[in-house]
Amino acid sequence: MLETFNFRVIFEYLPLFGSCFLATLWLSAAGLVGALVIGTLACSMRIGRHKLIAIVAAAYIESIRSTPLLVQLFFFYFGLPSLGIRLSEAATGILALALNSGAYLAEIIRAGIQSISHGQVEAAVASGLSYIQRMRHIILPQAIGVTLPPMLGQAIVLVKDSALLSLISLPELTRAGQIMTSERFMPAEGFLTSAVFYLLIYYMLKWMTAWSQKRLIYMQA
Amino acid sequence: MERYSVQRAMIEFKNVHKWFGDLHVLKDINLEVAQAEVMVVCGPSGSGKSTLIRSINRLEPIQKGELVVDAMKVHDPKTNMTKLRAEIGFVFQQFNLYPHMTALQNVTLAPMKVRKIARKEADDMGRYSLEKVGLGDKLHQYPAQLSGGQQQRVAIARGLCMRPKIMLFDEPTSALDPEMINEVLEVMRNLAREGMTMIVVTHEMGFAREVSHRVAFMDFGELTEIAPPGEFFSHPKSERTKLFLSKILTH
Amino acid sequence: MWGFYIEQLMHSLPFFLKGLWMTIAVSGISLVVGTLLGFLWGIIRSSQNRTLKALVGAWVDIIRGTPFLVQVFIIFFILPEFGIQLEAFPAAVIALTNLAACFICEIVVAGIQAVPWGQREAAISTGLNWYQQLRNVIMPQAMRVILPPLVGQYVLLIKDSSVVSAIGVVDVTRVGWLTVQRVPQGLLVFGLVALLYFIICYPLIQLSNSLEKRMSSGYTRGKV
Repeated sequence: MLETFNFRVIFEYLPLFGSCFLATLWLSAAGLVGALVIGTLACSMRIGRHKLIAIVAAAYIESIRSTPLLVQLFFFYFGLPSLGIRLSEAATGILALALNSGAYLAEIIRAGIQSISHGQVEAAVASGLSYIQRMRHIILPQAIGVTLPPMLGQAIVLVKDSALLSLISLPELTRAGQIMTSERFMPAEGFLTSAVFYLLIYYMLKWMTAWSQKRLIYMQA
Repeated sequence: MERYSVQRAMIEFKNVHKWFGDLHVLKDINLEVAQAEVMVVCGPSGSGKSTLIRSINRLEPIQKGELVVDAMKVHDPKTNMTKLRAEIGFVFQQFNLYPHMTALQNVTLAPMKVRKIARKEADDMGRYSLEKVGLGDKLHQYPAQLSGGQQQRVAIARGLCMRPKIMLFDEPTSALDPEMINEVLEVMRNLAREGMTMIVVTHEMGFAREVSHRVAFMDFGELTEIAPPGEFFSHPKSERTKLFLSKILTH
Repeated sequence: MWGFYIEQLMHSLPFFLKGLWMTIAVSGISLVVGTLLGFLWGIIRSSQNRTLKALVGAWVDIIRGTPFLVQVFIIFFILPEFGIQLEAFPAAVIALTNLAACFICEIVVAGIQAVPWGQREAAISTGLNWYQQLRNVIMPQAMRVILPPLVGQYVLLIKDSSVVSAIGVVDVTRVGWLTVQRVPQGLLVFGLVALLYFIICYPLIQLSNSLEKRMSSGYTRGKV
């Protein structure tokens, strides 16, 4: 089969892969920004004092973590129109990605805040820092340091998850492979090319994760 | 060494009680610590010594009795603790340095944020405090790059940089390797010599004998014995104190 | 209105349960085989053999770096070009087994690394051979670190199994997709699908959490 591997066709389709690669990038980026907002919100709701709000946040997080993203995606894709809400495919996809990763980010942020030892808070209290000052100078800088590697890990998951958006016909990297398969019946060339582009993003994010972990070493007192 | 005469009470406990749930951890504590006095508190673990000094800056609130520090009522929930805490340096057993900040940043954070001192002046003060504890060459090191003894000295400098009236030490040498204990005690000796009001929870009886004005023994949440070090070590009154001293002095 | 649709859904409930059974079959086979392979890969990755280590490492990286959907497509569409004709079901099982093995490999590596080097030295100095070190000293300790994330990984893999519906495996997600063509109530249909996944996954997540608490509390309390 490899002797018949057709690089010429790949070149022919390269513009399509280029634009689809960009689509994967921006869909993931939009999903990630949404997930950060939702995750921060859900985390502060969950660790907050208000019982009812905490339960709502916990229910959101647990139900997302207990069901597949593909089912969530179909839930919105087929479900929102039956409520009379019409969103574009892209908006539906980003919504599903953001809600899904948001639940995981909420847990990552919570773990980050809880990982800071109580002694840190006490030292800050003893030197007279206010709640806001403690959050700003002691808790958050450390929490962000601790959570950066797992957040980048979640970003990797999110980019890979965005492949599922091809199943609601969004033109992104995996969809490009599907198009090549259906137009020329060249699935090997099509999907392996998609895979290479995904690996590009993966290795870049992995390198950033390693870098952020190296920075963490300073903080392990 | 010259002993200062008692001028006025800096810290005053009057019939202070505290409970953790059902556990009665401070039982009717009465204690006065004078300005420039150095008091060592010792006792078995779990006796309430840590709780006693942690109550002074309300890291642990008390539930009954009166606690007055530098003429401010700590037992009164309305008291502005931020102002009082700025006057009290606190040194923890586990150092609790901020791992994401250099030694200098650790020391200058509170002066800048609580005392609102400009960065340049705060840096000068920080440098001075770190030099004072012998770490003038470690200003820009992170805690993870310092030894345990050095970390604890940074923690002391962090307290000193606020120009406190009182310094509290909660077992400052218990988490240290033996060869590092002395460098920390040396810093504390110098502080005592300069007339700092200090309460030190420690098992370093050499330090107590040499530096302190009075030694207090705590047992089951009660202050059972308070005496000048000479008397405390040569004629302990209660059996429990004798037992404790025999255990601690033999190793 | 909704009552009508709910009644229609109730009629297709056997269909959903059949789909659920397919989901359990695909995930069950893949998890068992994938766990065995994953431990094998993990032990190879922690061994001294440089070539094998690099090979397994590169493969694991490629699988972890690409979307599962793309892997499923590649296996389903490309193996036939080598003359291996695959039905959707075996293709799905192969893809999910491979995915499971690669993710479990990393968990096993982390678990083995968590055992202090002194343990290995003690084992070596008492004359245990390589297999005995692994079997009697390293793995029993590593298991405490491995078990909680392993159960968590199972949840992720069961959820990933929904992706194989894209090549026509009639699992519970596919059943939902087929049903929504007849019963145009996406919220109800996929709400039911989600509920079925929830029933499987939620208890496993709780198990993973409680294992984590138990394992981190040290050897004195509760045995493994």
